[in-house]
Amino acid sequence: MSVSGIDFSRLSLRDAFDLAILIEEEAQERYEEFAHQMEIHHTPEAAEFFHRMAQNEAGHGARLAQRRTTLFGDAPSAVTRAMLWDVEAPDYDQARAFMTARQAMQAALQSEEKAHAFFVALLPQVHDPEVSALFTELRDEEAMHQTLVTNELAKLPPDPAVGPDAFEDDPTAQ
Amino acid sequence: MPLNTAFAASDFKSELKPIWCPGCGDFGVLTALYRALANIGRPPHEIAFVSGIGCSSRIPGYTTAYGFNSVHGRALPIAQGIKLANPDLLVLVAGGDGDGFSIGGGHLPHVIRRNIDLTYIVMDNQIYGLTKGQLSPTSPRGLHTVTSPEGSLEDPVNPLLYVLGYGAHFVAQSTPADMMGLAAVIEEAIRFPGFAFVNVQSPCVTFGEPDQQLKAHREGMKPLATIGYNPTHRMKAMALAQTYGKDLYTGVLYRNPNPPPTYESLVRERQRHLAPQALPRDRILDQFMQRVAPEGSEA
Repeated sequence: MSVSGIDFSRLSLRDAFDLAILIEEEAQERYEEFAHQMEIHHTPEAAEFFHRMAQNEAGHGARLAQRRTTLFGDAPSAVTRAMLWDVEAPDYDQARAFMTARQAMQAALQSEEKAHAFFVALLPQVHDPEVSALFTELRDEEAMHQTLVTNELAKLPPDPAVGPDAFEDDPTAQ
Repeated sequence: MPLNTAFAASDFKSELKPIWCPGCGDFGVLTALYRALANIGRPPHEIAFVSGIGCSSRIPGYTTAYGFNSVHGRALPIAQGIKLANPDLLVLVAGGDGDGFSIGGGHLPHVIRRNIDLTYIVMDNQIYGLTKGQLSPTSPRGLHTVTSPEGSLEDPVNPLLYVLGYGAHFVAQSTPADMMGLAAVIEEAIRFPGFAFVNVQSPCVTFGEPDQQLKAHREGMKPLATIGYNPTHRMKAMALAQTYGKDLYTGVLYRNPNPPPTYESLVRERQRHLAPQALPRDRILDQFMQRVAPEGSEA
């Protein structure tokens, strides 16, 4: 997770909205990628969950975009996708072949925790009260998402005792 | 800030979806490459992307650039031909460690000594993953695989030392565990005027060693930018390259501050020099025929 080229002490509210929108956009794309990976590896439950996560992130992004438009119209942005990596998007190595729904949710939970930690670390650097209020709101939303995913996890039956590793071929000379 | 915002990373993303194993390091390399290309600002139709055979060699198909998923180990000769035929193209080459240092190993010294302006990205996973986990040229000694059930008896090729030894003028290493650093290194390699080599430690999630996965990279990598390293000394770079397989240094190991002319620029210069002496096109065949069958001789 990293952000570069942004001075948070001088960040405007407009740019703060744009950053938040791009974070959601990146997460949405990554979840779609994960969903596709699961589909081609015949893991429909995990794929369905990742699609759902992508829709959630798209919804968050759309709501932020609406607020941004109301406040600032279509004024150009100073923040670009090149300035951020994997803030809320799950890291690529979170995906595994034949993930169970539980493992998929655990990956999402880690991403929500990562995003929450990002806003927690950011807030002391922010001076603008409106930006601070927005990032506080986003931090609290990430905490709420963690609760939602944790609750979903609790409803799931435990994973089967035997996983794909049990069926791995032993190394044999060819 | 991107140097050129005319293109977004998504402009370089093709409709073909990657079929690598979930968790593969190559996903990160591809995403970093999209970002680097967006910053470079050349349109996809001005880019040719050549690869060999292997998991990583699928990468050109996932971009909107012209792509050639060629023959095992032969990406570099094909890329050289493309660059010489059309020097205005931005030519990228990609492949794995097996493709580049085993079957294709013989081509590398020659592209380096010619200094053709190509960017060669090797996704080094220390295994033949596509064929289910045999020893590759960069597999560490002692590695247990399907072809070395008792452990490898061979020392690995050191890709960094190998290309530095042959005289490469730009040599870098990175990992998808550092996405921002990886994108920056790829961009810098593309901008370098001459042959540029990037070794990406891109773990195989299925057949790779657990201690060589991205999590271990995140914990153990040593970004050169953070230790005040000066990449303008070849011998210092070679000393650093000796640590391949033990320490994971990331960033630019060597960048020649005064790179020599590229092969294609020398070819153009020679063409300009010889052009005044060139025969008109319609007389070339006449002259050839005079040589092989002079008038009066019995053909």
